[in-house]
Amino acid sequence: MTLTLDPRTVAPGTELPPVVKGPVDRDMLKAYAAASGDPNPMHTDDEFARNAGYPGVFAHGMLAMGWLGQLLVAAGGVGSVRKFRTRFAKITWPGETITCRGRVTAVHDADGERLVDCDIWTENEKGERKLVGSAVLAFPRR
Amino acid sequence: MPSKELIGRVLSTGSATVGAEHVTEFARALGDPNPLYIDAAAARRGPFGTLVAPPTYPIAFMTQAMAGGMDTFLELGLNFMTLVHGEQEFEYARPIRAGETLTLTGRIADIYEKSGSSGTLDFVVLETEARDAEGALVFFSRNTLISRRT
Repeated sequence: MTLTLDPRTVAPGTELPPVVKGPVDRDMLKAYAAASGDPNPMHTDDEFARNAGYPGVFAHGMLAMGWLGQLLVAAGGVGSVRKFRTRFAKITWPGETITCRGRVTAVHDADGERLVDCDIWTENEKGERKLVGSAVLAFPRR
Repeated sequence: MPSKELIGRVLSTGSATVGAEHVTEFARALGDPNPLYIDAAAARRGPFGTLVAPPTYPIAFMTQAMAGGMDTFLELGLNFMTLVHGEQEFEYARPIRAGETLTLTGRIADIYEKSGSSGTLDFVVLETEARDAEGALVFFSRNTLISRRT
């Protein structure tokens, strides 16, 4: 796949091409629950979620983190991701369309590699940030 | 409330082989079309010679591969009704390849509490490392769980 980030020209402020997911629906949550082996009914059983005090089921934090992983690999390629962290700040709800975004904060060269630090986040249609975090992408220096 | 004496305790260990079908099912559940995750023929011709896993696949692999630890986990005394995944962090040495066997060791790295307007929050940090057949580190995971005391 063609990389969306050019390591020769990348600089602080460079935006990663966004990845859009959704609208989130219950089938996506069921598929992720099965594939990830997460048995928590909070994400698949509306009645269970309501009994726990929520309006209904909501997305696994790790599903949305997986979407951010797609953003990073699209930008830097498989094997470029060295560090990847997120905080699950707000809940992702069914019906929301989620945009994954990233912005370069620093670029430095070390041990024959170009290391690119990024802020990353997901946001809904209203611009509310759900997951916020950071990542380091590594590119071979040519 | 979790006892700080549990810090450092090995929580869970395990070893498993990365299944190509599992990797592909996981990538499809993310809606990620990268052919290196889902197209075995394309992946064979690619830079890794086989299917590789998306960056968050370790979470599914850990669930599948690790056994035991439930007694210690219960010993933490967390409030399961309010337990949430607060933060997740990964470090990677290289991509995970389908067909390889990884050995995992998970331990309780930290336990602390914070008090706020909604009461006292208990934080438990779990760290897991995965090594390949040669003993080389493949990935590291740090998982922060938060539960509110009620």
